[in-house]
Amino acid sequence: MANILVCDDDREIVDAIEIYLLQEGYTIYKAYDGEQAIRILKEQEIHLLIIDVMMPKLDGIHATLKIREYSSIPIIILSAKSEDNDKILGLNIGADDYVTKPFNPLELLARVKSHLRRYTMLGSSPDTAKSTFFQVGGLCIDDDTKEVTVDGEAVRLTPIEYNILLLLVKNCGRVFSIDQIYERIWNEEAIGADNTVAVHIRHIREKIEINPKEPRYLKVVWGVGYKVEKQ
Amino acid sequence: MEKKRTVLRWVQHLMLAVCVIAALVSMAAFRVHITSFGRSFYYSFDQKDQRQDVFADTHLYSVLWGNVVSDVVREGVVASQMETNGEFDGRKEIDVTAYNYRTGGLPQEYVTAKYYLSDLLRWAEHGFEWKTVARSEVPEFLADTTQVTVVETGGSHYDTADIGYLKSDMASCTQVQERANIQDVSGNMLAPLGGGGYYGSVPEEIAASEESGEPQVMLLLNRYQTAEKKNLEEYVSDWQLYNDLCQNLQNAAFGLSYNYEEYTSFNEYYNEENSNVSYMIVKPIGDDTQVITNIPAGEWRDSLFHGMLSGSVKEAAGKKSEDYYLYYDPSDMVFDTNTQLDEDLIRQEFYSYDYGYPESVKMWISVSGALERPDEFRQGFDAFQKNAEYLWISVPTAFLAGLLYLLLLVYLTWTAGRTVDEQGVRTIRLGAFDRIPTEGALLIAAGVIAVGALFLILVEEMLPSTWALFDPLSTAEWINSRPGLLLAAVLLCAADAVAMLFYYSLVRRIKARTLWRNSWCCRGVRCLGKFFLKLYDNSSVILQTWGLFLLFVLINTLGAVLLVSGNAGIVTLLLLAALDIGAGNLLYRGAKERREIRKDIERIAAGDLTCQVDTQRMHGDNLALANAVNNIGQGIKEAVDVSVRDERMKTDLITNVSHDIKTPLTSIINYVDLIKREQVENPKVQSYIHVLDEKSQRLKQLTDDLVEASKISSGNISLIFENINLAELMNQTLGEFSEKFEQKNLTMVLNINVQDAVIRADSRRIWRVIENLFNNIYKYAMQGTRVYLSIDPSDRREGWLTLTLKNISEMPLNCAPEELTERFIRGDESRTTEGSGLGLSIAKNLTEAQNGTFEIGLDGDLFKVTLSFPPVAEQRTQHP
Repeated sequence: MANILVCDDDREIVDAIEIYLLQEGYTIYKAYDGEQAIRILKEQEIHLLIIDVMMPKLDGIHATLKIREYSSIPIIILSAKSEDNDKILGLNIGADDYVTKPFNPLELLARVKSHLRRYTMLGSSPDTAKSTFFQVGGLCIDDDTKEVTVDGEAVRLTPIEYNILLLLVKNCGRVFSIDQIYERIWNEEAIGADNTVAVHIRHIREKIEINPKEPRYLKVVWGVGYKVEKQ
Repeated sequence: MEKKRTVLRWVQHLMLAVCVIAALVSMAAFRVHITSFGRSFYYSFDQKDQRQDVFADTHLYSVLWGNVVSDVVREGVVASQMETNGEFDGRKEIDVTAYNYRTGGLPQEYVTAKYYLSDLLRWAEHGFEWKTVARSEVPEFLADTTQVTVVETGGSHYDTADIGYLKSDMASCTQVQERANIQDVSGNMLAPLGGGGYYGSVPEEIAASEESGEPQVMLLLNRYQTAEKKNLEEYVSDWQLYNDLCQNLQNAAFGLSYNYEEYTSFNEYYNEENSNVSYMIVKPIGDDTQVITNIPAGEWRDSLFHGMLSGSVKEAAGKKSEDYYLYYDPSDMVFDTNTQLDEDLIRQEFYSYDYGYPESVKMWISVSGALERPDEFRQGFDAFQKNAEYLWISVPTAFLAGLLYLLLLVYLTWTAGRTVDEQGVRTIRLGAFDRIPTEGALLIAAGVIAVGALFLILVEEMLPSTWALFDPLSTAEWINSRPGLLLAAVLLCAADAVAMLFYYSLVRRIKARTLWRNSWCCRGVRCLGKFFLKLYDNSSVILQTWGLFLLFVLINTLGAVLLVSGNAGIVTLLLLAALDIGAGNLLYRGAKERREIRKDIERIAAGDLTCQVDTQRMHGDNLALANAVNNIGQGIKEAVDVSVRDERMKTDLITNVSHDIKTPLTSIINYVDLIKREQVENPKVQSYIHVLDEKSQRLKQLTDDLVEASKISSGNISLIFENINLAELMNQTLGEFSEKFEQKNLTMVLNINVQDAVIRADSRRIWRVIENLFNNIYKYAMQGTRVYLSIDPSDRREGWLTLTLKNISEMPLNCAPEELTERFIRGDESRTTEGSGLGLSIAKNLTEAQNGTFEIGLDGDLFKVTLSFPPVAEQRTQHP
């Protein structure tokens, strides 16, 4: 299984994460500051790094910057800093994901799995030339087999949910209002406002997103509509 | 820059010296010293002369000609007294009484004696000798009879050679008679004697002899014999006549002697060897014709003579075309000349000597055009030539130097004081001298001028008298001396240097605008102004307004009265007008300034705290007002800044604290979760764990909300506005909350009464508002009730949209609606239920941040929230 390096100056948090990850069968390396993390990265073969921002000696941001000079392993920043600016900074300097404390252990686990899949599957992506195959990030839809996978894991959707997702993925980046989606999927004119579509969307999100409140793929543009964001 | 200017300045001073000296030299060259026969004078060529190309056209030439004519006319008289047939004749017999009375005229009969000219000249040279004897000693001295000469008019005997000195046209002869008694004759003669001149000391001696008691007589020594070899006493029989005759003898001798000297020197001067002048006077007297000339005997002289007699003088004289000539023939009324002279001049000259000329006289004078001989004409001509030469050099030099001086003056005036400072900006640099107050500099200038004048006077005293600085006559000589020129140059340079020092200082002052500001006058005026302002400021409002107004009215009334009564002059009128215009202008300025202050106050009131009144253009009370307004504005701005800063600091503090709380919270949540996974059997422990889980989750929510609330209330968020469809938003929200509402059995009644429910807001923030409100409903609405949601056009504000949410509260609401939006307030005062109590506060603040309004209404258990948003078009693009 994969080797995961967890780096946080709070030993209890590192230990807690270790417990969760060990249960999933990963090998864990622990570091308590940035310099230690870099040292271990050089000594061991690490497949994923979970790193805190505020740490003594070398903070997570600078450590990430240094690591990115020679390594492309997935890096998840785990920080108590939850401002938008902090998230933007972290993602911009090379982190792949940003999880704020206090975190849901299951969500973190899901993200770790997702990133590892992406990382190990890299370069062996399915044939994208197929006109019936759509991919947005880790989300893949094969229209021939009606199969939907997220980071390689199959997702089960109802036909209406599947059609809505397909519509959004096909028109990746475009925002569809509820009425537009209704007309396309049900092939009827939308009469009056209805929350049917909104409910379906929520269900899709719950199925394909790790954290439905902070969706990666199916985003809500409040007051406008829905879209699948280009990755 | 400054060095260059210094050099140029000295060039400028030098140019002044060159200019003035060249001008002086040119002026000196205009003056010429002329020495002619019996005359010596300076002549200054005037401007008219300088413009002449030919010397003969100058005034000097005419002057010289006039002199020549005068000399020649006199020569014509004198020569007649000395000459016979054109040669000096010592044996010429002179009738002494006739000679004495040549200008006045002779009586019919007179007593006289004739002497040889050479004898008379000789005696005059040595003086006459007398002896004084008592009258009684010479009883037999006089002749028995007196010889009387009788003048016969129209007689046949002419002896013109003898009396050539007589009035020429007087046809006269003498017939000698002897008479014993000639009392009448002597009586005739005595009268003019008193007016006649005495020569030598004779009259005194005679007078002395008459005063003494013993009658004495003065006897002429008997060596003075007449042409007949007789003594005087042999001609008279009377002492009176003897004395008169002696007088006549003496006077004639001395007069002739004087004329003889003149005659010889004239002949010397106007000798054809020495003079460029040729003349010929022809005097026909009776049958004889006298010729007086300096032309040597020869063919030309003869032809000229005959030409003059025959009246064809021009042809005869026409020797050289460039010669200048003058021919005068009064009897034939001929005046012919190619000079500038006019006939009047000649007539005047002849009139003075009319006794010496017959009416038929003819005169011819010419001056050679070549001027070979060194006489006065030559001098004048040379000076004229030299003048032209000097003018050629000195005038252009003076002009050019003057021009250069002016150019330098203009250039240096233009650039005076100009310099470039360290920043590369052009400025005016003032020297030490320029910083002296203006009046001080003027005083120094006056002092320097006084000292300079004193110095000049001293220098003049010390200089040789011929160098007298202020005497124009001596200037020429002064200028012509080298040390004089050098001194003049140095003095001029120094004077100009001093003058320019003050001048350029003045220019720099004007340029730097310190001429007035850096003066004692200015300081005085300012002090006075300050004094009056202080007086004004310290006086009461009544005095300030009514006092001034009444003064104004009084002056105007006075002026009006003066005008009506007609006593007002134009000056009074102008002063009055100036006063009224000034007062009007003051009022206008005050009103304008107040208007500006008002505008700025309105801007401050509208929220533009950076607005400051421009106090540069304010005066008096308005200035104080403006300053006060600025202080207030500044104070408000500072207060607002402080409060904003405080709010921000608070937010930062909360943010940081929440970070610090989150880290341990993470461990708590994680380990609670781990415990839950440990399959604890004990139900008690399980319930404890459940509490821990719930509270830790709530703590998490609380910290997040706290940060959010503080950020929103401090305005520390950035909004991205876009068009939001409220209906769409409601549908999306209902989709999100459908299960939660079902869970509580709440029924949603949606009522949209607007076509396009579009507002302008930040998508995520408006969601946060709606989410909070729906969460609120979910948490506090009574189970199984209906929730009303409607979107309507606002009934209060045109074009606005309102979103109304109504639900029935499960708990009674016992507080004011406003309190609900305060932080940490919840409907029930218990804090044991879930929620942070920040939801409504956040919703309200976010709504207001997006330009909307947020109102809560309570009516019993009816909980009503009304959101209003402005129409899209009117949306302000202000980003807080």
